[in-house]
Amino acid sequence: MSHRSSRLDRMSVAIHAKDLVRRFDEVEAVRGVSLDVEEGEIYGFLGPNGAGKSTIVRILTTLLEPTSGSGSVLGHDVVRERTTVRRLIGVALQEAGLDPKQTGRELLTLQARLYGLRGSVLSEQIQEVTELVGLADALDRRIQGYSGGMKRRLDLASSLLHRPRVLFLDEPTTGLDPTSRTLIWERVRQLREQFGATIFLTTQYLEEADHLADRVAIINRGLIVREGTPAALKAEVGADVIDISVSDHESGAARVAIREMQSSGELPEGELRGTESGYTLFVPDGASNIAALVRGLDRAGVSTGPISVSRPSLDDVFLAATGGRLQASGETQPSQDGQRVPTGQGAGR
Amino acid sequence: MTAATERFGEPGRGGPIDGSGPRTLAAPTGYLSDVAAMAGRSIRGLLREPESFIPALIIPLFFFVVQVGALGKVAERAFGISNYAAFQLPVAVLFAAANTSGGNALVLDIANGYWDKLSLTPVHRSALVIGALIGEMFAVVGYSILLIGFGFVIGVRFAGGEVLGAVGLLGLTVLFGVGFAAISVAVALATGSVRATQTTFVIFFPLLFLTPGTLPRDQMTGWFKTAVAINPVTYILEAARSFIFGFNGPVLLKGLAACVGFCAVTFVLTALAFRRRAKMG
Repeated sequence: MSHRSSRLDRMSVAIHAKDLVRRFDEVEAVRGVSLDVEEGEIYGFLGPNGAGKSTIVRILTTLLEPTSGSGSVLGHDVVRERTTVRRLIGVALQEAGLDPKQTGRELLTLQARLYGLRGSVLSEQIQEVTELVGLADALDRRIQGYSGGMKRRLDLASSLLHRPRVLFLDEPTTGLDPTSRTLIWERVRQLREQFGATIFLTTQYLEEADHLADRVAIINRGLIVREGTPAALKAEVGADVIDISVSDHESGAARVAIREMQSSGELPEGELRGTESGYTLFVPDGASNIAALVRGLDRAGVSTGPISVSRPSLDDVFLAATGGRLQASGETQPSQDGQRVPTGQGAGR
Repeated sequence: MTAATERFGEPGRGGPIDGSGPRTLAAPTGYLSDVAAMAGRSIRGLLREPESFIPALIIPLFFFVVQVGALGKVAERAFGISNYAAFQLPVAVLFAAANTSGGNALVLDIANGYWDKLSLTPVHRSALVIGALIGEMFAVVGYSILLIGFGFVIGVRFAGGEVLGAVGLLGLTVLFGVGFAAISVAVALATGSVRATQTTFVIFFPLLFLTPGTLPRDQMTGWFKTAVAINPVTYILEAARSFIFGFNGPVLLKGLAACVGFCAVTFVLTALAFRRRAKMG
């Protein structure tokens, strides 16, 4: 399903990056990233902490200069034409940096003034963005009394005051409860539909990228490792993930049995990877295939622990894309097919 | 139809900037407008923390009262001073001026990410610093007026008629206060560290004490006299005193020169620290 805006007669590039590199002392946080985001597109940037997402956002939003390479927004270079770029973009960074001593209204007013809004345009825009994020009641309270979710919403509202053409959202729903998250997703879609904005979204959640993005780039350790539509990326993994717990003792037998089922057609083709607790099998339509799997293992006399089916998580896309699992530190470790390897704690923060 | 839509067209349509796609509402802003916006915000922030005013005023006032109370008559006799309270008042005023929050508000912005948020807007970034310094100026004016008023109440009189002397003292104090505040603003910009910024005052404390605060310079001896002679605040204090005891051309000029020189140094340091921060991020 294409989300291309029908308003545009011709496609133009909203965000362009070529061979971006950023070094901090000895560490290369970004190691050569190139991308093109079209106007009206929602582009998702998916990766663990430390992958370089935030650094790239800071470069494209003129907060940081690249060590080498170039970037531009709507044709304006992010280093040489930074003031112009700043007028065209809205940014909501991951840590909503706000002024606790001001009220929400005062912060929005100051923000609007800095963008050159005046008079009735200014007051109407404040009203519009406040209603969009649902903060009308709290607007005249001091920000130090706001909850975390309210601060995020205020930050988002403040990025929309000047109706930016390109919006950068850095992990907009990390740490939020499901209700707030759904609200934000609706708003993001609304922004694109109503205002034709281009949206560059970074996230740790495949679900979020899946729901919102037209295209997704997976970034790991400073490089883009995969890029494509969510459907394509999911197809790469296989639609579902079957986790099989099995003891060391039974591990070899289980592997043999599963391989046999695949070659005989009982189970579809799919990756089988060793994990800390057993194996993970990537196959389409896991709900149907899990029955066949259980029957086959039973028939082969293999006893297992819990077996579960789930949708691919970031971990699994990563496994498919980089051959390793996410660890808490964001480092990946290569796994050898069929061997047990230590895993991290799921989708890392 | 909202005013925004009237002026800029329907969102998603309307006169675009470069011929494709919807248009943003952002418009260029003047430098002064940015400075005014940031100064307004700094002043509002200061007024919302009245707790910070109290130590800034109480400490100099306390020293003043104690010095005069303890030493008053003795000092007048020993040093040949006509009115020790009048002698001490400029010390209190300059001390209070140096006691403003300086870079504290700024460093909090940097530490909690608001500086970054502001830096993402098209604001002229130096307006962020100038606005903070104007906020400081506002605090200095407030403290000075209160202390000068207090002096007036207890009987200190100004040279050349009350208004002229008081205004002169106020002007010099404001210049000094902003120059002194620039030190911690520079530290805030350079380090982004709340701790470092708060200890700046302690480090520059000696500047306020190696002065003819307690006794006139001509009665000092030894290392103390030397130290006092090379401290620019000495000349600023002596010029401040002349607004009370009687205008003295050379003294005023030396004080003004010392103040301007002092400010030049601190402003340059601030500008350098600002350049570094604006460049990095």
